[in-house]
Amino acid sequence: MTPEQIVEAASAVFAQTGARPVDPAYVLASDIPLELSGEAVRARLCVFTDHRGNEMVMRPDLTLPVAGMEAERLASGRNGPEAYTYAARAFRLPASPDDPMEFTQVGFERFGRESSPDEDADAFALVQAAVAACGIDNWRMVMGDLSVFPAFVDALGLHGVTASLLKRAFRQEGGVAELLAGAPSAPEVDLAHQLSASAPEAAALAFLDALRERSIPMIGTRSVTEIIEGLKAKAAAADAGGVPEDARKVLGALAGVNCSAPETAEALSGIARAHGLRGLDSVIERVTRRVEAIIDAVPRVAEAGRFRSGFGRRFTYYDGFVFETYAGGLGERQPIATGGRYDGLIAGLSGGRARASGIGGVVRPDRVIRARESVA
Amino acid sequence: MSKLSFAIPSKGRLKEQTEQWLAELGFPVSQIGGERGYQAEIAGLGDVEMRLLSASEIARGLIEGSLHIGVTGEDLLHDFAPDGASEFRIVRQLGFGGADVIVAVPQAWLDVDTMADLEAAGAAFRKLHHRRLRVATKYMRLTRRFFAAKSVGEYRLVESAGATEAAPTTGAADVIVDITSTGATLKANGLKILDDGIILKSQASLALSPAADWSDEAQASCLKLLERIQPDASAGAKNLLNTFLTHV
Repeated sequence: MTPEQIVEAASAVFAQTGARPVDPAYVLASDIPLELSGEAVRARLCVFTDHRGNEMVMRPDLTLPVAGMEAERLASGRNGPEAYTYAARAFRLPASPDDPMEFTQVGFERFGRESSPDEDADAFALVQAAVAACGIDNWRMVMGDLSVFPAFVDALGLHGVTASLLKRAFRQEGGVAELLAGAPSAPEVDLAHQLSASAPEAAALAFLDALRERSIPMIGTRSVTEIIEGLKAKAAAADAGGVPEDARKVLGALAGVNCSAPETAEALSGIARAHGLRGLDSVIERVTRRVEAIIDAVPRVAEAGRFRSGFGRRFTYYDGFVFETYAGGLGERQPIATGGRYDGLIAGLSGGRARASGIGGVVRPDRVIRARESVA
Repeated sequence: MSKLSFAIPSKGRLKEQTEQWLAELGFPVSQIGGERGYQAEIAGLGDVEMRLLSASEIARGLIEGSLHIGVTGEDLLHDFAPDGASEFRIVRQLGFGGADVIVAVPQAWLDVDTMADLEAAGAAFRKLHHRRLRVATKYMRLTRRFFAAKSVGEYRLVESAGATEAAPTTGAADVIVDITSTGATLKANGLKILDDGIILKSQASLALSPAADWSDEAQASCLKLLERIQPDASAGAKNLLNTFLTHV
């Protein structure tokens, strides 16, 4: 198949669902990806400066500008589910030397439908139908669920400050291990306890006194109240004992989950059972139901699919089901298809003015061609 | 580019100390066109293209491969190399031009002493202000790599061309990543270095470019320099050069 035929074959699969074809803005303000996902994504962004010195980026994928359109539509008062499809160019600095900076993505994005295991399976099956239409039948896939780690952290019953710290660290490059190794300091405990015992105004005065005694100037954009809140939060987390040994064991066991798709339910519920964790039934039930629905729709996943607990933790705005499909001699840095759920994205892009569930997936025709040429 | 292309800093203390080091090795540098010229000659290495450049240009030239060998700061080499330390080879730290690249925050942040504390403060800041904490620096890549390795994601970079330590006072940023030798300027600006916030201990260093086109002539000149630098190296200078050029 030629590149054009591959684009056409994948596009036809998505168009059949009735999704609306779009080609949104190529150029975005760099604030959109950077405020949303942080500086870590800058390493892959094609950034430039406009004539006024504003920093702009070429769209790194289609999900961001399409979700931006949808956020506008919803914020202007329209509602109801909507689905878009595209075969369009995206731009990223290469992660592998043989990846192009400019490439086509053929995909779809669905908003405002039910956020359920069956919808996840339906979206995955649609992507795999496009992969099949591109003439690839010997693929393998890996999936994850980005809501599993936060649910396990909640089940550990840690102090709120510590729990949020772990959830954020999970999504960063260094991961939870780096955070646990370089634990937060516990300075100024006496001062923190004194401030906790005082009324807000008295606490502010006591804090400024403490600065004056040490000849420290009050500079920076964080207010006295914010710093006092920081001190109190840290002292409370330290008083609560940080991350105890048993909790570390649970997180270690969870990080080790890497099983064939049909074994997912047992792998997760085994950890919950062994450590007597409660409150995980609904998340494990959701993951289990999704794997079943996916295997029903695409039976090959039973042999060619895996579940990994940490999979997709660096996929910036995704927050639920995530997957990648690989083929031929291309490794895990070069999936031929990817997708996942991002139920928080519309709220994030619209500053909370609109909310809608979201899920999408794409095929990369350039990699499909390379996978067809190479033998695993 | 067949003959050895060798660059040293074109001005200031770094230039003087580099020239002194080379003279002591027996390779005196003389400037063409007097003190203000940017061309120079070096004795004892054969036919060498000697260049006087800014430390930044030298770091870029070594990474691109337009220079074979040069003296510059490790901070610049680490920051300019897109793929990190595999893109240049440090032959020798020269014992001068020493300074640390560090993460500093206002001393008034009594709740922030470590990178993990900074992460927590950044998350609370974003929740309250609907934007991320600003980190001012000229070290864009070094900062991004270090923060990522420490699992700190709650920040935005602001590129700073100079006087970075003033950014928290003026409100341009809250956190800085900057180079410091004594810490006195930081203190004078009401800042403190985080306990685990030392990104790099940098010195002026002689570095080699694996990307350059190493002709026999260039290698021969470079060997003369390496033999003098490491006369007692157990591997011969030839092996040493090969190791530098091939080791990834």
